Amino acid sequence: MKINPQSVSWLQAAPLAVVLLVFFGIPMLLVGAVSFFDYERWQIVPAFILDNYVELFQSSLTLRLYLTAIKYVVIVWILTLLIGFTVAYFLVFHVRSLTLKMGLFLLCTVPFWTSNIIRMISWIPFLGRNGVFNSALIDLGVVQEPLSFLLFSDFAVIVAYVHLNTLFMIVPIFNSMARIDPGVIEAAHDAGASRWRVIWEVVLPLSKTGIALGSIFVITLVMGDFFVVKIMSGGQSATVVSALSTEIASLQYPPAAASAVVLVVIVALIVSAILRLVDVRQELTG
Amino acid sequence: MIKNPKRGNSQVTRRRLLKSAAAGAGLAVGSGLVKGFPTIWAQNIKDVKLVQVGGSYSAIIDIGRQASKDLGFQVEMQTADHDALMNRLVNEPKTIDIADTEFFAQYYMVGRNIVQPIPVSKYKWWDKTVPIFTKGEYPDGRKVSAQGTLPYKVQYLESASAKTFAKGPTDLLSGIPTVYNADTLGIRPDLIKRKIERWSELLNPEFKGKTAIVAVPSIGIMDAAMAIESRGDLKYADKGNMTKAEIDKTISILIDAKKAGQFRAFWSTFDESVNLMASGEVVLQSMWSPAVTAVRSRNIDCYYVPLQEGYRGWGSCIAPMAHLSGIKLDAAFEYLNWYNSGWQGGFIAKQGYYSSVPDNAKKFMTADEWDYWYEGKPAKDDIKDPYGHLMEKAGRSRDGGSFWQRMGNIACWNTIMDEDRYMVRKWNEFVSA
Amino acid sequence: MHGAADHSRPWTFYALAAFFALFVLFLYGPMIVIYVLSFQGPNGGLTFPLQGVSLHWFNALITQERTGDIAGAFRRSIALAAMVTVLTVVLSVMAGLAFRRRFAGAGLVFYMAIASLIMPGLFVSLGIGLVFQMLGVTPTWYGSALGAQLTWTLPYGLLIMFAVLGRFNRAYEEAASDLGASNWQRLQHVTLPIVLPGIIGVALFGFTLSYDEFPRTVLTSGSSNTLPLEIWAMTTDVTSPALFAVGTVTTVISFIVIGVALTSIALIERRRVRRAGNPGEGGTVS
Repeated sequence: MKINPQSVSWLQAAPLAVVLLVFFGIPMLLVGAVSFFDYERWQIVPAFILDNYVELFQSSLTLRLYLTAIKYVVIVWILTLLIGFTVAYFLVFHVRSLTLKMGLFLLCTVPFWTSNIIRMISWIPFLGRNGVFNSALIDLGVVQEPLSFLLFSDFAVIVAYVHLNTLFMIVPIFNSMARIDPGVIEAAHDAGASRWRVIWEVVLPLSKTGIALGSIFVITLVMGDFFVVKIMSGGQSATVVSALSTEIASLQYPPAAASAVVLVVIVALIVSAILRLVDVRQELTG
Repeated sequence: MIKNPKRGNSQVTRRRLLKSAAAGAGLAVGSGLVKGFPTIWAQNIKDVKLVQVGGSYSAIIDIGRQASKDLGFQVEMQTADHDALMNRLVNEPKTIDIADTEFFAQYYMVGRNIVQPIPVSKYKWWDKTVPIFTKGEYPDGRKVSAQGTLPYKVQYLESASAKTFAKGPTDLLSGIPTVYNADTLGIRPDLIKRKIERWSELLNPEFKGKTAIVAVPSIGIMDAAMAIESRGDLKYADKGNMTKAEIDKTISILIDAKKAGQFRAFWSTFDESVNLMASGEVVLQSMWSPAVTAVRSRNIDCYYVPLQEGYRGWGSCIAPMAHLSGIKLDAAFEYLNWYNSGWQGGFIAKQGYYSSVPDNAKKFMTADEWDYWYEGKPAKDDIKDPYGHLMEKAGRSRDGGSFWQRMGNIACWNTIMDEDRYMVRKWNEFVSA
Repeated sequence: MHGAADHSRPWTFYALAAFFALFVLFLYGPMIVIYVLSFQGPNGGLTFPLQGVSLHWFNALITQERTGDIAGAFRRSIALAAMVTVLTVVLSVMAGLAFRRRFAGAGLVFYMAIASLIMPGLFVSLGIGLVFQMLGVTPTWYGSALGAQLTWTLPYGLLIMFAVLGRFNRAYEEAASDLGASNWQRLQHVTLPIVLPGIIGVALFGFTLSYDEFPRTVLTSGSSNTLPLEIWAMTTDVTSPALFAVGTVTTVISFIVIGVALTSIALIERRRVRRAGNPGEGGTVS
């Protein structure tokens, strides 16, 4: 007896849906509720007040935090996209042997198996005033004084973000590119297209799912981060989530919850915009 | 590591403790399990496991191991950074047995009945505890500065279910004082080359781009207040409990300093502070004692400066969680008594922390170490850190001198102020400026 | 593929290869700092200058002196990551297949997954902790932390499956059905093998994301720390180069695992080619 294909889909998706519902949906309803609570010094008081949101929107701090976050997101996104695309392109189209392809790919992933925290901390002896990089520069005579801006600055934050997140751009783009039928590329070449045109008009559009996914990953990772920015800026920069974590640390849940809700809404809008440009689901069911 | 010269005796001591605690347990309300038979009790207690959760400067795995060895039941240490710790204590109390927090956290612990009070009768060492904690006084009768949260203010409780603190001594303790210290600024004397005597040096443009503050808002703002008051910009009524106006002024001075490039970094992990100092990125910063020890043990000169205006004091305490009862609670009281019976005191002394029962800690330190760490006398032999690494060469004295020279000069204590909500917001403004 | 028969490499190959090499150097740069610093003597710290050379810190990892419970945390992290990987792969693949049809609630599941990706991990952690407390269930690393990490890995898994299945040519499945394969046989012998590299991608992500996960685990792990939590707590006290020793050890293990994986893939490929005489899909790794 044939089961209704609709039900099959339903059953297949159910476990994932249940896990998400239990471990995400319900806790998030709770967080949403808490965002309307009041709080005193030592207690949070169940209530329904809009004060937390009002304070959030009235504070110039909020705007500044979001601008800082967006600044990082845009720069990191562009960098990871350029690097990720180039690396994926190289691996897919220029490396011939499958084993070598996989090998090089995995070579890129090995650093990610070492804790993020350790890798981040290791930038400090590398970029510090007395660090390896500065010492090398001085030895080579490129500069006279150690460069201070390398560490505890926006530069350091961005370097760390790119370092930690490029993989998330490479993998989806790699996947997308690998699915491109080589026949199409050959046809384009045969039709006389230059290499750049092939990339621009053939490879790029066909990888757009991968690019969209990679972008979503990187954007959400950077927007949601709190400790990279704290450590690499030497605590001198704050983004939305790092400020939020300070509030959680002080057990001030309601304003933190309100902040989180606003953040999710904003990032969801960004993601929706991306998904509108590249409908990932459409590709699936179309 | 100091070997316990009284190893043999400790077995006897343990038995005696077990017996007396067992008898006590038989009388204690609500512990119907135990009827006072040491052998049966000793059998059962083997299976007890206590989890102590605290900062990594206090919940040290070596202490847990020694406790398990001496007591016969398991003591496990779990480290958590301050933020996670507070959240765990409040939201997942059952995953913790012994709370290990700073005194100012007692407002939460007691305010929400997360921990249970300790009857003085159950704790052997209260009479020998330093009077800073028992009476809020120095031995000469002077009152300890009450700016911030003086431990004495949150030490006593009126009743078991009290949510606020008693004004004076009662026979219920909110927690057992464990480690404490007087904090000040740390410097690299080899890179500064002149005497540092006042907190205001933190804001001195001479050190532009080479200073750092701790990023924890409630502590950082106090260090800043010490510096600001020292410089003369503002005189605070209570640095530990600022008014909105004081907070605004403080933060705006900090923002100006930040924009002028005064600070190299704000450190949020202990480890960062060590690296900043050791690598020379920073020559003057707020610092914690073991960080100074750590820098020194790398053969780099670091000095914990006694400053004119005094120190910022802090203290930790441990307490059994409210959900403990029966045999687990008895084991907890056992453990609290063991904690300040000396071994732990001797261990953390080598990091520069003081024990609240110094007489006991003294038993586990060599005479030379005692002289160095507590009496402020020059060391006759090299001084080692708890793990055996060289910390200080013979001939030098502890920075700041003796116990009473340091703890006797506390200007303010770590705390959470009334305007905490406002302060955290302003602090975030400072950080993002 | 263009150039498959042509053995000369265009100049772009060298340019891209150089770029790739630089990228790998960038990734591994700080790692090298870690490796070097982990071999310090007992007085070593986390910055240069180097203090002696020894295996002291590796020894410290085993004897657990002053390093907290690294060994225990490491075991837990590996076990947790393994569980998360298996669950993520199974649930994501199933759900990914489900989404090939339109089914009731598909939109809801999709957006819940996206929201789960965006929500700052700290809040998911807090929410789950609160819910568990309300229900009176004790948080544990294999219970609540597992669920929390799944909220992180499942969206990634799902989106990757979207990308992989999106370019999947249904013709193969249709051919299999035409030849009389049952649905299950079709799945087992046609669909899954073709999307296998995508599945491996999901597994890779799942493992890496879980092993390194911090914000979602911090408040849901109960009384036992995972490795990132243990490392983070360690950095709040004097950190020793034991931390870096962890990094070195992890890398060595990763290389071994990859070496094994690659050799087995190469062997499988060789066997497949020998058996089917099949040119594969144009040399793409897919």
